[in-house]
Amino acid sequence: MALYNDQGIVLRSYPFGEADKVVIILSPNRGKLRTVAKGVRKTKSRFGGRLETLTHVDLVLYEGKNLDMITQVSIIEAFPTLRQDLDRVVAAGTMIEVADFVAQEDEPTLRLFLLLQRGLRALDGGDVHPDLLTGYLLKAAEIIGVAPALTHCAGCGATDGLTRFSFAAGGVLCDRCRTPGSYALREGLTGYLAAIATSDLSALPEPDLSMSRESLGVTRRFLEYHLERGLDSMALLDA
Amino acid sequence: MFEPPVQRLVDELARLPGIGRKSAQRLAFHLLNAEETDAVRLADAITSMRREVRLCTRCFNVTAEEECSICRDLRRDTSIVCVVERAQDIPVIEKTGEFSGRYHVLGGAISPIEGIGPDQLRARELLDRIDAENITEVIVAANPTLEGDATAMFLARMLKPLGVKVTRLASGLPVGGDLDYADEITLGRALSGRKEL
Ligand SMILES: [Zn+2]
Ligand SMILES: [Zn+2]
Repeated sequence: MALYNDQGIVLRSYPFGEADKVVIILSPNRGKLRTVAKGVRKTKSRFGGRLETLTHVDLVLYEGKNLDMITQVSIIEAFPTLRQDLDRVVAAGTMIEVADFVAQEDEPTLRLFLLLQRGLRALDGGDVHPDLLTGYLLKAAEIIGVAPALTHCAGCGATDGLTRFSFAAGGVLCDRCRTPGSYALREGLTGYLAAIATSDLSALPEPDLSMSRESLGVTRRFLEYHLERGLDSMALLDA
Repeated sequence: MFEPPVQRLVDELARLPGIGRKSAQRLAFHLLNAEETDAVRLADAITSMRREVRLCTRCFNVTAEEECSICRDLRRDTSIVCVVERAQDIPVIEKTGEFSGRYHVLGGAISPIEGIGPDQLRARELLDRIDAENITEVIVAANPTLEGDATAMFLARMLKPLGVKVTRLASGLPVGGDLDYADEITLGRALSGRKEL
């Protein structure tokens, strides 16, 4: 039992007991932290809004048997602009959902943490790039180790005639390697995805709105296939 | 493990929110040792609540009638509606005595993370009420959380094109608190909801 310092981004929280909350935090050092904030649901709680979802916080925690107890919290970054726009909040919801699913307890996740931080910062700025979420999902896939092959055939490594895409095969396929389950992608889409995948989230390539929608759709379904679950938050985008 | 009839009650009580195994046992033994009429009265209160109470067909508040007492009250302003997440939020707002319109119980909040969208809430029903009741103003009394914010933003997007004024409960500094203890998020809300004096 000891006090320790850490920081992280609040992923979500849910009511616990009379006035407490369990707060799930993504820490770069310890992975997913499951913490309890005593009395946080009372309107006069000393925690105030500091433990709201999507807040990057600095913490002092008291190690517990199951849940670590938050004793002090201060805000590092609150992403205020992002909170004021429904579309941005929905996109942030998907970023959070993926990070929450991928992160494990007691497993450092610096890359995932930095990805989430960059994603939220991009949503907090001026105009949001139409391919931001696609870029985020592609980078998340890379961190998990399931990055889709985009510049070469996932079957034989060929770099030309890449006309098919297969979730199971792990990316694009050439005409010779095409499998029954693979499907044709629109001309230029794999190149478009490859350019997004290799760019920083803050410096994505010039968007092509005729490509953006399909890019996100393919990336989403690819990730859902490999995570073996649907992304609930993205159902809101369909609505 | 207790005798089966006792254990059964302990198990049921322990399923209630905020009641752990220990409290459930204490309550069960209290009822065991109490006058039989006390225990029967409690059981009867539970069954008759379930039998007699239903949801108001207009606002989805709990009621024993077709419509709840607030919807039936002719003195209330029918042009203004306060949207709440849950029926138990209504008495809290009623106690302030500051609101004289009707309510609409949404049944939850939009959650971008859990994928709870307007289709899982009574948003459609609210939309239908706008024309039918000539509603001109909607006050969103959602919790001051990310989910509450998303709900308010969604309702504004849905209702503003209809010419409905959509406002949200100002949230900010807790009464009795010191300004220098406020966090950035709370303070930011207080600033954006500021009021001319
Ligand atoms: Zn091939
Ligand atoms: Zn009613």
